[in-house]
Order: sequence, then C-alpha cells, then structure tokens
Amino acid sequence: MTMIRMSNIHKYFGKLHVLKGVSLEVNKGEIISIIGPSGSGKSTLLRCMNQLEKIDQGIVEIEGIVVEAAGDKEGKVVATPQEVRTAYRKMGMVFQSFNLFPHMTALGNVIEAPMLVNKAAKDDALKIAEKQLAKVGLLEKKDAFPSKLSGGQKQRVAIARALAMNPDIMLFDEPTSALDPELIGEVLSVIKNLAQEHMTMLIVTHEMGFAKEISDRVIFMDDGKILEDSNPIDFFDSPRHPRIKTFLEKML
Amino acid sequence: MDHMEYVLSILPFIASGLKLTAKIYIATLIFALPVGLLAAIGKVKGPKIITKILYLYTWIWRGTPLLLQLFFMFYGLPIIGIRLSPFAAATITYTLNSGAYLTEIFRGGIESIDKGQYEAAKALGMTYSQTMRRIIIPQTVRRVLPPTCSEAVNLVKETALLAVIGMPDLLRIATQIFTRDFNITPFIVAFVLYLIISSVLVRLFSTLEKKYSIYE
Repeated sequence: MTMIRMSNIHKYFGKLHVLKGVSLEVNKGEIISIIGPSGSGKSTLLRCMNQLEKIDQGIVEIEGIVVEAAGDKEGKVVATPQEVRTAYRKMGMVFQSFNLFPHMTALGNVIEAPMLVNKAAKDDALKIAEKQLAKVGLLEKKDAFPSKLSGGQKQRVAIARALAMNPDIMLFDEPTSALDPELIGEVLSVIKNLAQEHMTMLIVTHEMGFAKEISDRVIFMDDGKILEDSNPIDFFDSPRHPRIKTFLEKML
Repeated sequence: MDHMEYVLSILPFIASGLKLTAKIYIATLIFALPVGLLAAIGKVKGPKIITKILYLYTWIWRGTPLLLQLFFMFYGLPIIGIRLSPFAAATITYTLNSGAYLTEIFRGGIESIDKGQYEAAKALGMTYSQTMRRIIIPQTVRRVLPPTCSEAVNLVKETALLAVIGMPDLLRIATQIFTRDFNITPFIVAFVLYLIISSVLVRLFSTLEKKYSIYE
C-alpha cells in the first residue's frame, strides 16, 4: 500500500529553487533514510509532506487522498477539507529542535493533542500518554517541565507526543542533530524500537551508521533532486554516483 | 485642629475622588486588555485591511498626547452631535489609549514565540485558533507580564489627567481641598494613595510572574 506519493514536487523560497521536481513513493512499513549535504532540500521535502511548507508545483497524496496540488496540477484536490485534515493526521512529526510546549509538563505535552484534536476523554488521553511515555522510557519524568529535561529526554517526549496521535507514518527531521553526542544513542534506540513495530518512517539524518542499520531504502538528495534511491547495502557499500562517494568519504 | 484630625476630616472627600479614579481605572483595564489582545492577534494574522486599520489605530493613539485625546472626546464629540456621559467619554478614551499600547506589547509577545511551536502544533493537527488558545497565548502571557505591569502602573498615574478636564478624581478633589484650606496636606494624602496603588499593582504582577514562571 502506498502511504505517501509525491509527484514532481517543486518548491521555491523566493528565487531559490529548493526542490526541483522530486517524485517519491513511500510504501507501508518502509523505513526510509534521507541523507545528503546541507541545503540539498532534505528537510524541505519532509516539510512539504505535512504542509509545513506549501509546494509550488506537483501533487502530494497521503494514503490515496490528494491533499495538496499546485502549479498546473492546481484544482486536483477533490477531497473535502475534513478528509484532507484526517489524512494529515496520519502523520506524526519529530523536529530537530524538539519544539516541546514549554508551559506544559511532559505528560501535558503528550495528552494535549489527543484531547484537543481527537476530543479524547481525559482518562483515555492519560492512558495513551502514560503508555507512550513508558515506551520511550520516561514515565517517571511525566510531571517534569521540558526545561528540566535533557535534550535526549526532550526528544523522547516529543516522539511520545507524536505517537499519542496514533500516526501511520512518522517523519523525523534530523532528530539527533541538536543533541550532545552522548545523548544521541537513547533517541536512536527509541526510533529503532519503532522500526521493529513496522512503523512507516522517513528520517532525515546525518547518522550514517544508523541509516545503514535501520533503513529499507536510502535516498540521497543533492541540489533539490533525488540523486539515488536504493537499498542501504548497495548505497553504502558500492555507491555508484561520484557525488555520493565524496559525501560518504567526508561523513565516515 | 491637630494634623491627624485634619487628615480625618478631609478623608471622606478624598475617598470620593479615589472611588472615581478606581472606577475609571478598573473599567479601562477590563476593556483595554481584550482590545489589546484581539488587536494584537489581528495585527499578527488578520487580513491586510484589518492590519492596516489596526496600524492606523496604534499609530494615532500612541502618537498623540492622551490629554489631547481627552479634549477631543469631551469637547470635540459633542460638536458633531455625539453626547457621552463624562464617565463613558473618559473610559472610552483611556481604553483606546491603553489598548493601543497593550496591542503593541501583546503583538511583540506573540511574535517572540518560536515558530517551531506553531509547527509542532500544526503537525499534531491543531487548528490555528487551538494553537493560539492552548500554545501561543499562554506562553505570551508570561512574556508580556513585565511590560503589561508598567502599562498598568502608568495608567494609574494617567488617570490624574481627569482632573484637567474637570472630573472629580483623586487629584481634582485634593486640589479643591488645597484651594479651600490653603494646606498641602491633601496633596500629601493623594501622593501616598497613588504610591500605595502602584505598589499593590507591582506586587500583584510579580506574584503573577512567579506563578507563570514555574515552567522555566
């Protein structure tokens, strides 16, 4: 089953052409790492999937529903606004800078969206939240405010917060880039656990070892285009493209 | 008559002035806070025509003397046929003036919230109004407390302009007693009363600040 289909996506920031006709299909249960030099459009691609950036051309489909269409494809959205919202709700996102709500405790962060968006009863939301916090190993920190948590703990709460909405797809935008090296492991191991549950995931990352270990597919982006889309073994062990060879040599 | 007795004898008059000052002050705060908040949201997110109107509003009301604004309300409006009670005219003027300052304070507060907060809320499926109500405004409140406090204290002192347009506020009453008795004691009493009100306000706001900073 195709979870996300992006067709010929173009994105401009002012005059800067950031995505130059990117097409991508994500199947159910796939774990895809998106790597590439900074400024290549990796994060922008991810952010175009859940409307944090509006596309300038192309079509975005989520689970068979066209949620966004622009440029000469404009008007292709036939779903109702309600259907579009429901489709977007199938995606959870984790940010480089965590973006926890600082005025709420860890638990408050996790119960907020289920109660506000899904209109869950407080008892149900608490149950879901405690389950998710336990899953990321932070149940004992549930009453702590984000300011009292380490970076790694913050990111794990952020993952629990996204999971509490019961998404089919998780988007990770450089989830460990803002972390001290000794805190990266705890976040990566939470993501690995999700992989074992066959969560569909897209992960923008600079952690090459992690990408190689966890991914079903590796996508290499350069200059707003997908340069390579292959399995991790071929990608890391016998990269075809010289551009990727140079990149990997620098990273490893 | 000894000094204490004199103070006691003028207190009933002073109290009537204090009452008017307090009424206008409280009415102004009750109206100006929502005006400021709504106008700030309008300025941040409203359609272009709304932001333009709001820009004009804060530009005029922050850019001209409050006393002149009071003159227009009291002496100008009747000329074009609008007759308001002095209390209404005063409250409207103070509300619009204070509201303009609060608009800018709140706008600055809202804009100081990291855009990642909006993105996280959006990624969780929240609508814009849910995001404002649950995520942005509560954090803004904490940040705008200090400048709002100084605006609230300013407003106490600005009510003294009521005396100039002839309303019997605290200062006006004190002045009347001074002219009658040629004794500066009423001024000293007014001085102390203004100081007490300001101090109570500052106290109140620092309690609020403490309450809202538990998460920092």
